[in-house]
Amino acid sequence: MRRLITALVTVSLAGCASQQKPATPEPQDTSAPQAPKPATPADAEAFRATPPPPGKPPELVLPTFQKATLDNGLTVLVSTRRELPLVFAGLTFAAGSAQDPVGKNGLADLTYRMLLEGAGTRDTVALDNAFADLGVSPFQEVTPDGAQVGVRVLTRNVDAALALLADVTLRPTFAPKAFERRKKQQLADLVRRLGQPTALGQIVFLSSVFGNTHPYGHPSQGMPDSVQALTLEDVQGFYKKHAGPAAAALVLTGDITLDEAVAFAKQHFGAWKAPASLPPAPPAPPTPARQTVYVVPKPGLDQTVMMLGRPGIAAGNPDEYSLDLATTVFGGFFGSRLNMNLREAKGYSYGAGASMDPRLGVGPLTAYASVRADATGPALTEAMGEVSGLKSRPITEKELAAAREGLIRSFPGAFESVEGLGSSASQLYRKRRPLDEFNRTVEGLRTATAADVQRVAEKYLDPATLQIILVGDPLLIQEQVSGLNLGKLMAVEPDTQPGSASAHP
Amino acid sequence: MKALVAAALVVFGLPALALSAQEAKPLEPGREALAIPYEKYTLPNGLEVILSVDRKLPVVSVNVWYHVGAYHEQPGRTGFAHLFEHMMFQGSRNVADDVHIPMLEQLGATDINGTTSFDRTNYFETVPTHHLETALWLESDRMGFLLDALTPEKLATQREVVKNERRQGTETAPYGLAREAAWHALFPLPHPYHGAVIGSMKDLDAATPEDVKSFFLQWYAPSNATLAVVGDFDVAKTKALIEKYFGSLPSHPKPTRPEVASVKLSKPVVIRQEERVATLPLLSIQWLTPGYFQEGDATADVLATALGTGKASRLYRRLVLDKQLAQSVNVTQQSEGAQSVFTLDVVARPGVSTDALLKEVDAVLEDIRRNGITSEEIQRARTRYDTRTLAGLQSIGGFGGKADVLQNYNHFVGEPSYVAQDLARYETVTPESVKLFARDTLRPDARVILHAVPPARKQAPVEPKERH
Repeated sequence: MRRLITALVTVSLAGCASQQKPATPEPQDTSAPQAPKPATPADAEAFRATPPPPGKPPELVLPTFQKATLDNGLTVLVSTRRELPLVFAGLTFAAGSAQDPVGKNGLADLTYRMLLEGAGTRDTVALDNAFADLGVSPFQEVTPDGAQVGVRVLTRNVDAALALLADVTLRPTFAPKAFERRKKQQLADLVRRLGQPTALGQIVFLSSVFGNTHPYGHPSQGMPDSVQALTLEDVQGFYKKHAGPAAAALVLTGDITLDEAVAFAKQHFGAWKAPASLPPAPPAPPTPARQTVYVVPKPGLDQTVMMLGRPGIAAGNPDEYSLDLATTVFGGFFGSRLNMNLREAKGYSYGAGASMDPRLGVGPLTAYASVRADATGPALTEAMGEVSGLKSRPITEKELAAAREGLIRSFPGAFESVEGLGSSASQLYRKRRPLDEFNRTVEGLRTATAADVQRVAEKYLDPATLQIILVGDPLLIQEQVSGLNLGKLMAVEPDTQPGSASAHP
Repeated sequence: MKALVAAALVVFGLPALALSAQEAKPLEPGREALAIPYEKYTLPNGLEVILSVDRKLPVVSVNVWYHVGAYHEQPGRTGFAHLFEHMMFQGSRNVADDVHIPMLEQLGATDINGTTSFDRTNYFETVPTHHLETALWLESDRMGFLLDALTPEKLATQREVVKNERRQGTETAPYGLAREAAWHALFPLPHPYHGAVIGSMKDLDAATPEDVKSFFLQWYAPSNATLAVVGDFDVAKTKALIEKYFGSLPSHPKPTRPEVASVKLSKPVVIRQEERVATLPLLSIQWLTPGYFQEGDATADVLATALGTGKASRLYRRLVLDKQLAQSVNVTQQSEGAQSVFTLDVVARPGVSTDALLKEVDAVLEDIRRNGITSEEIQRARTRYDTRTLAGLQSIGGFGGKADVLQNYNHFVGEPSYVAQDLARYETVTPESVKLFARDTLRPDARVILHAVPPARKQAPVEPKERH
């Protein structure tokens, strides 16, 4: 690792020339490695030996968001970007799968999917054709903290798109036949998901990190037995309780101004009346020490899916920026400690990474890699070694500077598309963050001290509190992992839980 | 999750085949926003340069396409073009091992990646404007001096990384091995598309440092590459920098593209494969179709959209909504330089047989062979392509951004600004031409039919596979 970090040439560092190979094979080059020689015809290529100095940094451009509130309470969020005649238009709902009632996991997902199964005077097919006339298929996502349905259209199609989105939001049909079909489709989709090693890992990850009954402890799609039990009344009840102008935002980004957006909002959504209010943030889960290594048996699988994690932080936590930096050094970048070890040094994996996911409530902190099956033990040892290494080999100034500059400077490049801006606006609403959140983030990343970053690295990436989930060959895992003293191996099979058979006639 | 996609393999990437240069055409009213102003020139060593200014954000994309892909691999070396791509991130004469991506990351670069497809390989990064020179330094060093830093150890590590990539995308991916079997039937050896870019474990194991050397010397010359710089930059200064970093790189005449006999299916090939990863049966039907931009390619796109895009599409409506036999449908024309592949996938509901799905699909296709599709369906597809094409121009770099768009047309037709002609192809698609395409190309007797069916639920534990 040390070698790799020194090789992270900070652009103005002349001493780095000594790390470089000689620019030409001539012997005199190596005689003076400290000072690059002036270019002569004999070594006209010598300028290549050192990376060029950077130019004058441009001003950091961050997206700006504007907000208005209609009389009925509907939030309107806008980010104007005029270069191309494109607009993203989306409805964000504050309630998500965290609002699934106990025993009814998957209800939010099924409810929101039903919005596109008929609305206003149109059935599923007519609605899809109406969107297709505008050149799009609507985009839909359901997450623990909320949901979104939206489209990216040419500017000339915005009005028509909003009329359709208003139908979808205000006048969903919830037809019984469509419900029965959609529910079967959701159940079959669960059968499909339960065949994927990563999906199985995620299910066990959520329940082991948050606990089965925590609002974040289940996948948005639910599980076969919970979805099987859902009724049309459940769906209608959920929508009535949770969807309304005071718990939703209309997001319009791209070739549109705030005034235009407000006019459209009044026209299409001004008459929306429904009593829903913002749901409370889920409570913080406990963070117990690890007792168990969970194993999802998949005999003969060529790779083992390895997931490590624990509860992290909620959005707005004062530790957010320090933890972002610590996570980036540990596993956020390609050049992070974890990936450079598991992928580039050992060749165990195609890629290893780590990320934090601050939510409205405390979200997960995750490290992840798919590793060659017969290297499961060594790869897990290396990964855990990198976790404890955060304490024994504290984050260096160079690592911190690289993460800080890298994260801050990558902001403009991350906001190129109108749908990207729309997604950011939607997240701000769902996590209830202020409109200048990205400026705060940049400021937070800039001012986080080395001591803070080291403190949160040790606090949150504490090896004793990381849950471990492995999906792979059980015999091989038994053989390679049981001797590592990481906890008792316990087999869990979410794909054979009672009820899943019901999806298999 | 940048780390997980870096140096990704793009199996379904865009093709690159240089045909004769075409004239740029003005855009129709209403489509002006699709125009991309650019300047193109060639250095004396043969390197093509495309510059396009876009001052929306203080970032600039550097994007290099090499006119080499899986198509140019030697027999017994499937997967080599892609393995080679990984080696391009492992250091060169003046760039230390494993520094390329970390250095860019710490400067705030985004969209850092390399991808290999059947016909070309590309490398790109989007950097804050003040680091443009660093990106040019990095790209020029590996274009000129990769072999100085090549070691057998680095090749051995990247071979393992790529084998893990294959395990992730093929062995442990739903339908991965079954799809590979179907692909092999479409492109039997010695066709260079046979290896599906990722290649076989055996061939990856066989690759030597000597192979890396000769592949580099043959295909990675400036004369076989195009450099695009797109974004917020000063044109005159950038031209000088390009001259400084790329002008003196040694080169040789542009290598000629190998001739490969096209393949043809003379009878239906039925493959029944036990599926070990996915839990739902998959029916996948594939036909060999005309290459990218050849006659019939655009018609195939429109038909694929009408058949499988959206809930109102013909197959989704009949199989998922009306009969409820299928879980999902996906239809694509995968346009490639030598020959394309039209793929029709249907995932069954639990308990539904793929043979039952095949009957239904054939009924839908037979109807189109007799009656074509409607003008309305064609119009919707066109509006979709217009919107999608415009949206693709929002990003200057990355997958399918402006730089890729310019590069793709440049490689394929020799004209970077070919958007108008590309979209005009769809204006010529008619109900009749779709009907003829379905009748003459999507023939029942010239296709690969894959049934990938998982064993009954509660399968007996599989013995651990032999490991190598």
